[in-house]
Amino acid sequence: MKKSNGRIRTALFFGAAVFLLFGITAGGLLLSEEAMVTDFSRKELAPGFPYLFGTDWLGRDMLARTLTGLSMSIRLGLLAAGISSLIALGLGIASATMGRAVDSVITWIIDLVMGIPHILLLILISYAAGKGLKGVIIGVSLTHWTSLARLIRGEVLQLKEASYIKVAKKLGMRPLDIARKHMLPHLFPQFLVGLVLLFPHAILHEASITFLGFGLSPEQPAVGVILSESMKYLATGKWWLAVFPGLLLVLTVMLFDMAGESLRKLLDPGSVHD
Amino acid sequence: MKKRLLTICCAAVLGVSLLAGCGSPEPERKEGEEGAWEAGISDGTKDSVIVVMGPTSEPEAGFDPAYGWGAGEHVHEPLIQSTLTVTKADLSIGYDLATDMKASEDGMTWTVTIREDVKFTDGEPLTAEDVAFTYNTVKETSSVNDFTMLQEAVAVDGTTVEFRMNQPYSIWPYTMAVVGIVPEHAYGPGYGEHPVGSGRYMLKQWDKGQQIILEANPDYYGDEIHMKRVTVVFMEEDAAFATVRAGQADLAYTAASYADQSVDGYELLSFETVDNRGFNLPAVPAGKRADGFEIGNDFTSDVQVRRAVNMGLDRQEMIENVLNGYGTPAYSVCDKMPWYNEEAEVAYDPEKAAEILDEAGWKEGKDGIREKDGVRAAFTLLYPASDSVRQALAADTGNQLKEIGIEVTIEGVGWDTAYDRAQAEPLMWGWGAHSPMELYNIYHTLEEGTAGYSPYANESVDTYMDEALAASDLETSYELWKKAQWDGSSGIIQEGDIPWIWLVNIDHLYWSREGLKVAKQKLHPHGHGWSIVNNVDQWSW
Repeated sequence: MKKSNGRIRTALFFGAAVFLLFGITAGGLLLSEEAMVTDFSRKELAPGFPYLFGTDWLGRDMLARTLTGLSMSIRLGLLAAGISSLIALGLGIASATMGRAVDSVITWIIDLVMGIPHILLLILISYAAGKGLKGVIIGVSLTHWTSLARLIRGEVLQLKEASYIKVAKKLGMRPLDIARKHMLPHLFPQFLVGLVLLFPHAILHEASITFLGFGLSPEQPAVGVILSESMKYLATGKWWLAVFPGLLLVLTVMLFDMAGESLRKLLDPGSVHD
Repeated sequence: MKKRLLTICCAAVLGVSLLAGCGSPEPERKEGEEGAWEAGISDGTKDSVIVVMGPTSEPEAGFDPAYGWGAGEHVHEPLIQSTLTVTKADLSIGYDLATDMKASEDGMTWTVTIREDVKFTDGEPLTAEDVAFTYNTVKETSSVNDFTMLQEAVAVDGTTVEFRMNQPYSIWPYTMAVVGIVPEHAYGPGYGEHPVGSGRYMLKQWDKGQQIILEANPDYYGDEIHMKRVTVVFMEEDAAFATVRAGQADLAYTAASYADQSVDGYELLSFETVDNRGFNLPAVPAGKRADGFEIGNDFTSDVQVRRAVNMGLDRQEMIENVLNGYGTPAYSVCDKMPWYNEEAEVAYDPEKAAEILDEAGWKEGKDGIREKDGVRAAFTLLYPASDSVRQALAADTGNQLKEIGIEVTIEGVGWDTAYDRAQAEPLMWGWGAHSPMELYNIYHTLEEGTAGYSPYANESVDTYMDEALAASDLETSYELWKKAQWDGSSGIIQEGDIPWIWLVNIDHLYWSREGLKVAKQKLHPHGHGWSIVNNVDQWSW
C-alpha cells in the first residue's frame, strides 16, 4: 500500500504543479489587457482589495502585470524548451551515431556554447537578433540545448554498446531504423525530464535579461522589467512592487522543478519502488 | 530533490539581489567625519558643501569645454573656467571676463574687450590670445556644440578679441556664456583631467565614477567665494535618497516620485525650470525618403489633428499625477525666456478638440476611436526606455487623448533608434536651453527641406529665424524669435502649424540640509545636473 501511495502522491503532485502553472499561464493571458492599463486615480495603492498585489506609480494593477509577465515567461519557456529539445535530440543522436568526425565537431560546438558565460551569450544573441521580444525569444531558445544534447549523446553512446543494438546491427537494420525503433523509446524518459527541467532555467534567464533591460521596453509586463522597475521604489517603501512578483517568480520556478522531479520519479524505472 | 529546490531558490534570490546591487556605490567616508559635517552649521562658519548629482552628470571627457564641459547638451557655468559673458537671472546677458562687446553693422564681426586683471590659477595672466585660442580650438574640435557660424577668432591686442563670423549670429553672446576660456600655454591632451582655468574653483581631486572635489580659487577676480570647498558625488536616484536619509549629503537631487517622503533635518527644495517635456507630431504624410528611410505620419500630418491634440491635453492634471505637483505647464520649448511668445499658451478644452476633429472629418468608429478615409486616429508614442517620468507622461497623454477618440500606444525605445523613429512617430522629448538657438534647431529646416528632429517646414518661420540671427542687437532678435513662433497669421503655435506639443516644465527637486542657504537660481535648463551649483560660491550656512 505504501508503495503505491508514494507513486500516487507523486502523480498528484505532478498534476497539481502542472495545473497551477497552467492556471498562471491562462490567468496571465486573460489579464494581458488589464496589465497595460494605466490609471492615475489609483496609483501607488498598497496591497488590498481589489488590487491584491497593489498598484505601481502609473496606477497599474500589479497582479495583472505579474501574471501576464509570468505567463509570458512560461510560454517563452515552453517555446525555448521545445526548440532546445529538438536541437538537443538531433545533435545528440547525430553525434553518437554518425561517426567520429561528426561527433568531435558537435562536441566542440557544445563545449564552445557552454564555455561562454550563459547570460553573456544570451545578451549577445538577443542583441544581434534585434533586441525586443524577438531577440529574447531567439536568445533564450538558442542557448539552453547544450546540457540536454550532451546527456542524450552520452546515453546513445552507452546504448550503442548494448547487446540488443549490436544484434540489430548485425541483423542488417539501417542506422536510422535502429535509432527510431530501439533507441528513441529508451531515451524518451530521460529526454522528457531533461526537457521539463529546462523550463526553470529558461524562465530565470528570461527574467534576468529583461531585468537588465536588454529585452522588452518598460511598458511591457515581463517579470524582469517589473522587478527592475520596483528597485527604484523600494527606497520609498513600496515593498509590494518587488515582493509579490519576486515570490511568484520563485514559486513558478519551484513548481517546474517539482514537476520535473515528480515526472522523473514516475518514469525512471530505478525509482519505481520509492 | 530538496537540495535541488534549495539551490534553485537560492540562485533566484541571489541573482535578483546581485543584479539589484549594481549601480549604487556608497560614498566613501572616513571615520570621524560625521562631526565635521555638522560643525559650523549653526554659527555659519561652515564653508564646504557636499552635493549629490546623477551619474550622467559626471563629465565623461573631463573639464574641457571643447568636449562638453558646460557647453554640451546640458548647459551650465563651467566654474573652473571663466566665460566672456554670463546669463543673468532673467536670462539676459551680463559680463564675466568681458567689459564690452559689440557687433558690426552687418553682424559679421563681434568685438569683445576683456578685463586685464585676470590670472589663471597657475599664475599666468589671461589675455585676448587665450580667448582667441579657446574659440579657435573649440571650433576645430568641439564634438558637442555647433561653431560653424564662426570663421575665426583673432586677438587684436592684449585685451581685445575679434570674432569673424561666417554668417550673422545675433545670439553670439549666449554662446559666449557657455564657453570656458582655457589657457593656451597649458592646454593639450589631458587638459580635461587636469584643467587650469581662471574661474571660481579649482579641481582638487577627481575620483572617476565617484566624486569631484572643487576648491575655491584664492586669486579669483570676482565677488568673494563663500563656499570654499564643494564636493560633488555621483549616484543613482535611490542611492542619493539613501545618502540623504543617512545624513551624508548636504544637497542631493531627487525626483518627484520621492517628493512625498520626508527626511528629518532636510527640506525639499523645488526650482522652476525650462526643462520641458513634449512630443513631436510629424507634419508630413507617411512616405519614404530616397534612401528608403521612413518619414512622416498620415494621422499627425493633418494640422487639425495636431491642434486638437494640443487642446485636448490637460497639463495641470499631468503635473498633479505624474510630477506630484512639481512642475509648470509648458506651451513652448522656451517658456518664460526673453524670446518666448506668450501667444503659445492654450486652454484645455476637450469639447473644442473633439469638435475640431469632427469638422476635419475624423469620425468616431465602433470602438470609440476616430477614423477618416480608412486612416485610424492612432499613433505610437515613443519614450526613452530609461526615463520613468517620460514613460508616465506618455501613458497619461495616451489616457487623455483616448477621451477625444485618439488611440495612443506607448513604446519605450533606446536612443540608438529613437532619433530615426521620431521622423515617423511622435517621441517624448526633453528640451530647454538658455539660448534661442533651440528654436532654430527644432523648427528650422535643414538642407533636406524639413526640420531635423521631426519633419516640418514653414518658410515664414524659417525667414523670421534667419532674420533673428542676422539682427544687429539682441532686443531686435528677441522680437523676431517671437514672430517666428507667431506673427499673427503663421507660426508654430495652436493657431499655426503646431508641429510639437509641449506638456510640462519639470521642477528640479533637491533634498537640502536644514541651514544650507542655496542662492537664488535662474531657471534651470534641461538636465538635472550642474546647473544647481552655478552659483555655489554664493551659498552659505
